[in-house]
Amino acid sequence: MNLFGMLELSGSALGAERQRAEVVASNMANAQTTRTPAGGPYRRQLVVFQAQRAPRFALSFALAGGLERESSSAVRVAAVVSDQRPPVMRFEPGHPDANPQGYVAYPQVDPIEEMTDLLGAVRAYELNASAVQATKNMIAQSLDLLR
Amino acid sequence: MSMMTIETPLMRGLERVLDLSAFRHQIIAANLANIDTPGYQTRDARDFAGEMQQAMDGEETSFTPVAHKLLGLLERPDGNNVSVERESLLLAQNQLRFQVAVAFLKSEFHTMSAAINGGSTS
Repeated sequence: MNLFGMLELSGSALGAERQRAEVVASNMANAQTTRTPAGGPYRRQLVVFQAQRAPRFALSFALAGGLERESSSAVRVAAVVSDQRPPVMRFEPGHPDANPQGYVAYPQVDPIEEMTDLLGAVRAYELNASAVQATKNMIAQSLDLLR
Repeated sequence: MSMMTIETPLMRGLERVLDLSAFRHQIIAANLANIDTPGYQTRDARDFAGEMQQAMDGEETSFTPVAHKLLGLLERPDGNNVSVERESLLLAQNQLRFQVAVAFLKSEFHTMSAAINGGSTS
């Protein structure tokens, strides 16, 4: 039984949730950005999570120990995609990025939506951090048997 | 397991309890890791309680831990059915069970050591 593989597993979730929080921060920072290198207003970003088989290292460990079984899934960020909703058009004729009709395309970023997502990411991060703590305790207790 | 010549039945049972707990901990950690993965289905050890009971009864069974998808949990619109409450409680419960087994195992070792040293506890 490989207790250390679980640290990697929970670690994958910590990384994924942190990236999700980073994307939310970037969305909120660019809520009013009307210019991007790609042209047009900033587009809201979203992370896509995907379950994947245990890290290769842990898996080979399990194989070496003859413990192969349906491996538990780590999580990874499969992609960061752009929200396809159309931008919000606001009437601001004086704005340098206004179109001939006087409308400026602003990113479709809803602060409530972003805050909800951020809270979700933080909670999931905490949850996985407590799983790491639990794993650490179990490893420490196992080592305690040697004393 | 058979390499060890100084062994009590309780030790063997506790060893299996530790194995089972560690295995289940892995499943719980995986469930928690995938709490936001669309379409992920909660997994659990098959008949965990039964396995545990066998371990405590000291029955010799071929221990092949298998994880399977757990049905009957409330599913979110994205197809994910991981319950935070269920997993957190199991995490705590499982950890305590592991702790208990370690404590008992330690006391068994101490007893054994005392027997070897002719009653002195060091």
